[in-house]
Amino acid sequence: MNNQPELVLLKNRRPDRPATIEEYRAGGGYAALAATLGKRSPQEVCQLVLDSGLRGRGGAGFPAGRKWAGVKEDAEFPRYLIPNTDEMEPGTFKDRVLVNADPHLVIEGIILSAYAVSAGKGIFFIRPSYEMDAELIERELEVARDAGFLGGNILGSGFSFDLEVHRSAGRYICGEASAQVNAIMGKRAHPNKEVHMAHQGLWGKPTIVNNVETLSCVPGILRQGPEWFKGLARTESGAGTKLYCVSGRVCKPDVFEMPIGTRLSEILDLAGGMCPGAEFKAVLPGGASTEFMPKKFYDVEMDFEPLKAVGHRLGTGAIIVFDKNTCLVGATLNLIEYFARESCGFCTPCREGLPYIRDLLWRIEIGEGKEEYIPLLREMARHMDRSYCAFAPGAAAPVLGLLNYFEEEIREHLSQKKCPYKGLGIEFRDSLIPMEKTESTAPENS
Amino acid sequence: MLPQEIRENIQRLIEAAERPREQVINVFYILQKHYGYFSDEAVREAAALLKMTPLEVEEMATFYDFLYREPVGKFVIQVCDGVVCWMFHENSIFDYLCQKLQVCAGQTTADGLFTVLPTACIGFCDRAPAMLINGVFYGPLTPAKVDEIIAQLRSEHCDLVICK
Amino acid sequence: MPQLIIDRREIEVPAGTKVIEAAARLGIIIPRFCYHPALGSVGACRVCAVKFLEGPVKGVEMSCMTAAQDGMVVSTTHPEAMEFRRYVIEWLMLHHPHDCPVCDEGGHCLLQDETVSGGHGLRRYLGLKRTYRDQYLGAFVQHEMNRCIHCWRCRRFYQDFAGYRDYGVMQIGNRTYFGRFADGPLESPFAGNLIDLCPTGVLTDKPARFKGRRWDLERAPSLCLHCSLGCNITGSARYREMIRVEGRLNEAVNGYFICDRGRFGFAYANHPERARTPRLDGQEVTWEEACRTAAHRLTRISREYGPGAIAVWGSTRSSLATLGVLQRLCREQGWLGPQFFNSPSRERKVKAAISRLDAGVAVSLADLEKADFLLVAGADPVNEAPMLALGLRQAWRRGATVVVLDPRPVHLPLEFEHLPVPPGGIDLCLDLLVRAAVSHSATEGLLPEAAAAFFNNLSCEYPGDQPLQDRLVSLGMKLKESKNPVIVCGLDIVRESTVVLAADHSRLLRAAKDRAGLFYLLPGPNAFGAGLLSLAGEPSSPSYADMLAAAEQGRIKALVMMETDPFRTFAGQPQFLAALDRLEFLLVLDYLPTPLTDRVQFFLPTTTVFEEEPSGWVNQEGRCQQAAPIYVGGRPISQEGAGSHPPRVFLAGIPGGEPQPGGQTLAALGVALKGTGAPLYLEELDTWLAELNPVFAPLLESKVTHPGVRLLPEARGDYAFSHPNKATLRDVPDDHLELLLVDWTFGTEELSGYAPPTQEVEQPPRLTMQSRDALRLGLGPGDRVSLALGGESITLDLEIVENMASGMMVLPRHRQLAGQKFPEGPILVPLQNIHKV
Ligand SMILES: Cc1cc2nc3c(=O)[nH]c(=O)nc-3n(C[C@H](O)[C@H](O)[C@H](O)COP(=O)(O)O)c2cc1C
Ligand code: SF4
Ligand code: FES
Repeated sequence: MNNQPELVLLKNRRPDRPATIEEYRAGGGYAALAATLGKRSPQEVCQLVLDSGLRGRGGAGFPAGRKWAGVKEDAEFPRYLIPNTDEMEPGTFKDRVLVNADPHLVIEGIILSAYAVSAGKGIFFIRPSYEMDAELIERELEVARDAGFLGGNILGSGFSFDLEVHRSAGRYICGEASAQVNAIMGKRAHPNKEVHMAHQGLWGKPTIVNNVETLSCVPGILRQGPEWFKGLARTESGAGTKLYCVSGRVCKPDVFEMPIGTRLSEILDLAGGMCPGAEFKAVLPGGASTEFMPKKFYDVEMDFEPLKAVGHRLGTGAIIVFDKNTCLVGATLNLIEYFARESCGFCTPCREGLPYIRDLLWRIEIGEGKEEYIPLLREMARHMDRSYCAFAPGAAAPVLGLLNYFEEEIREHLSQKKCPYKGLGIEFRDSLIPMEKTESTAPENS
Repeated sequence: MLPQEIRENIQRLIEAAERPREQVINVFYILQKHYGYFSDEAVREAAALLKMTPLEVEEMATFYDFLYREPVGKFVIQVCDGVVCWMFHENSIFDYLCQKLQVCAGQTTADGLFTVLPTACIGFCDRAPAMLINGVFYGPLTPAKVDEIIAQLRSEHCDLVICK
Repeated sequence: MPQLIIDRREIEVPAGTKVIEAAARLGIIIPRFCYHPALGSVGACRVCAVKFLEGPVKGVEMSCMTAAQDGMVVSTTHPEAMEFRRYVIEWLMLHHPHDCPVCDEGGHCLLQDETVSGGHGLRRYLGLKRTYRDQYLGAFVQHEMNRCIHCWRCRRFYQDFAGYRDYGVMQIGNRTYFGRFADGPLESPFAGNLIDLCPTGVLTDKPARFKGRRWDLERAPSLCLHCSLGCNITGSARYREMIRVEGRLNEAVNGYFICDRGRFGFAYANHPERARTPRLDGQEVTWEEACRTAAHRLTRISREYGPGAIAVWGSTRSSLATLGVLQRLCREQGWLGPQFFNSPSRERKVKAAISRLDAGVAVSLADLEKADFLLVAGADPVNEAPMLALGLRQAWRRGATVVVLDPRPVHLPLEFEHLPVPPGGIDLCLDLLVRAAVSHSATEGLLPEAAAAFFNNLSCEYPGDQPLQDRLVSLGMKLKESKNPVIVCGLDIVRESTVVLAADHSRLLRAAKDRAGLFYLLPGPNAFGAGLLSLAGEPSSPSYADMLAAAEQGRIKALVMMETDPFRTFAGQPQFLAALDRLEFLLVLDYLPTPLTDRVQFFLPTTTVFEEEPSGWVNQEGRCQQAAPIYVGGRPISQEGAGSHPPRVFLAGIPGGEPQPGGQTLAALGVALKGTGAPLYLEELDTWLAELNPVFAPLLESKVTHPGVRLLPEARGDYAFSHPNKATLRDVPDDHLELLLVDWTFGTEELSGYAPPTQEVEQPPRLTMQSRDALRLGLGPGDRVSLALGGESITLDLEIVENMASGMMVLPRHRQLAGQKFPEGPILVPLQNIHKV
């Protein structure tokens, strides 16, 4: 086991309050800004980030430097940077912790990234349940502005940038980059695959959407170099540290900053291991839209490539831990119910297919399942890949995980004609949303 | 009728924006706060202020979770039904709350004080089971804690936080 | 030009073509719901999935979202793609009410087709069905949301394509709902297209509801006659009754769409009061007898008073055959006429327009959509020719600037510059705009001599009004930058000089830019045809009014009125009926139940465009198109025996089936007049027309096939510019207001005025004026005013607006105002003739 690993993102985290600008600066904060703006060219910054191997932390893991390079030097102005703090992926709360721990790290990361793509305006997109954090960021933006880090001609560098907070009114799909751009433009937040964001994003102008965790890695990279950043990782292919949120049946659910590629087992140990009396059954490794991983992956390295190699995804790095007494059919049903409710409704597989899957899972869970539901579920879950955006494939992931690793558990439901976990622990409560009773949705406005 | 002061506030907000449309959600929130929910009148006011048609406002307003097109109670209790909270609903906080308040999901108590809504994972999985009341976070919950919170809310008046 | 292989067949398509279109070119129709050629691809339904076997894209992908690329090998029937498509259909059917037996879409339902062809026959889903509440959407469109498959076509058309904002999408997920904010009529005059676009039975034709299955209907390609654009339609009839009209694709004219006036105005053909039998002196007679008597009486009058004592009126709502034979009869017999236009200024304007259009400048509606600057002079598209507004919008969506010079409160579903100048000021604005745009060419000596001379003659003094001047200057600069400007000129409210100027200016722009177009709006569906005949008919026929005066004075003894309603022109003039009374012989032929058809002694019924014979019509750009007959005419069964079935009357012929095509009737009359040796009026018509006016020659060379034959001369190199007068802005005296009689989308057009569905949506007539004028007159919003006009007065609601020229009043030529006397414009009304009541 390594020594205490280096903290990059959460080093200023305090138990009771966010770090102030002074505290952040005392630890070298905003030094990268001063050393970069006007001193290095935006292209250089892009190159450094590309060299650092930083991959997006919002779920898809796209290399940040490559995304930025999509905004060509002769692209139109103004350009926009959107720090994505929607974080609606169930099980994920790292962005909240990050923003709360060290708001100025986030702000500095945003300014530097904006500089890299010559964006003049940033829009901090945040979900409504993080209203406290939105207010915090607004306050700290004022502080940063007073310190001359935001606004016109920052630090005399000739670079101008300002950031404003955009409050969402809440929908999972708003986290998807192109849907987020629509949301900011005051349109319905449907995804749009027809335009290339780096060319025609917000208001038809070049736009970069990045997760806030991704952006918060940038000051470190610029201060200490891409090699340092790469070196932080525990895997060959990885780079940097990662905020792993651990929740579920563990003793100490929390966000842990660890080198990317840290083994799942080690992260779970950090979270205090399983709750007393609970025995490990499975995890969702990267939020609700990843597949269940059973015990055999207990030691997997939590990084994009190693997980991909075993057919899984790092997603947001939100590890949800399920114990032996938790019904995974019920858990999947809960997830699908969530996804079906949040579907934007634009494309058929997601809008109609997810409620269908939900219905089958529900029947299995209440003991009315049939053998033929299993292949039907599998086929439909696979077909979610052919929906318009990545929402539905994500929604199908836990279903596929259930089918791939826990088919036996489904069969127990079939043979016992009831949920075998009834009375053991968690069962599905159907008091929540009797979905098929969804009725007339016509507006009855006068 | 929308008070002049609120109207002017909204107008200032819209004028200050580069494009009025980027203020849509903020304007909706202000109106929702004033009317208690996003009423038909709020739709029409929003339409007039933003130079949209009522339909265009409705297209937006019905898309989102945190905009209520139907009357809600003074306190909107959004109980997280994300998968982690679900796992921690051993004593079913949700059912407990519903029984306590004598409502089903989506309903408002007879005194108009509380509306209970199931909601997407609210990003507090480390403190499951969790809920938001008017945007303020509560968790991890136990039946005792729920009793305490409800009792306190009944006795005091707190301002809406979310719709600022 | 990417080359690809689809289902083992190779094809090369233009870059950017989507695979679904490339396949369509091979005749392979990939299933689709959301994709529509006019609305583009959005990838919502996912039913167009195909398998990409080789090339840059691999696997199952949407053919509507994937652009064709070199090296692609596509299979549309690959089992993987088929299986996925089957699922899509199953998903779409989960909540479908399975109410095909009572659904009007049944038989022409895309969902039905794909469900059947995809082999989906069993609903496996056990959950309950989602149900929606339907909305009232007005008189035209019926809403049945439960049948919705969420293809988004309706919203994409309504908001994006057509630019209206009261219908859209609400809610989210599987609760997504398409409709209005609240019950109420759809505001768009193009809403009827939703009926054609909706691939299922959510949005269906309300007036046609439950009147027949697609396979029960007699259907044929026809033309819309409700303005001069000549939009293509498919008409459907059943039991001798026109049931519905749909848009029909003509890429050069209307594309896929039509307006609601065109879609719902057809019911004049079913009018219960339509006179359907030849009638002589109050008695029903046979055709033979009618013809014989008519010929006999006309011959007698001709012999007694000379052929000049017989006058002939036609109109612009008759087929080319009718117009042509009418013209020929007059020539042969030496009768006076025919006069096709109800006012001399209209006739002059139409002739001026037609004689200035040639193949070089005339643009079609489709060409117009590709223009980058549209200068609309004296036209109110939504009201006069609605599809023009849709065309302008498509140009605007592609980035064109649209400028409207018109005194009326013009509304368009797009962002445009409206300069509300009085009709007399349009010339000046045209001059200034075009002058600014071409002056660099002029100073550099790049203009041909004639164009340069014209340029030197243009007004160059800006009006004193500073804001107007600023706008003119900046728009002039934009026009200068444009590469493909088009001038659109209405003929209704403009001065005659404007018609000429519009042509001259488009020539001038063309000289400076290589490309420039000209697009006129004409009065009536066959005004172009009538105009061509009038141009050839020298000397000009006297006007309606002159002929009427001659009748009053006893110089004209007989009048033949072919499909024209003089009441629309002369109603309320006491001399009118007196003059008719003095005639020895009045013959009226018509397919409309006009106020005359019941009144006259001698009446011959003609057929509508939908019945009996194919007919030719020339639209405003000179495109001759053919309308096929849809059904054999007769009194609709629903009217015969009060709708009971089978009908109680037993006859050899069809009840009410006597009407004959106008041209045929006239030909028969000609034969009766000349006896044997009469020419083959109809068979030789094209030859005769081509001799009369060589512009008709293309009719000889080829049959009139889709998309029509343009009757236009070649572009002239030696175009003769006019010598305009120096134009000024204001020509209305201060103590008067100019009254503009205008068209409305609904309520003013003649044919749709007889159709109950369009009657249902028309607004009552109102008088509109600018707020400054209202202030001057002490009038306020909501007032009722009385307007004294030539000894009569009318009382109407007043509408006060900002966006129109001052010094004007606007009044629709509303059918509800029939009986009022409208003198020839421009009508100047003294201020004291306008009162609040
Ligand atoms: C349905 C859906 C929801 C998403 N939600 C989020 C989110 O809440 N936060 C986020 O950062 N990215 C989210 N993403 C990913 C974004 O689309 C985008 O890839 C990401 O913000 C890019 O940032 P990154 O490259 O820094 O990861 C979501 C994607 C999908 C398909
Ligand atoms: S998969 Fe389709 S319906 Fe689902 S969120 Fe994406 S676009 Fe919307
Ligand atoms: S036609 Fe291609 S997705 Fe609908």
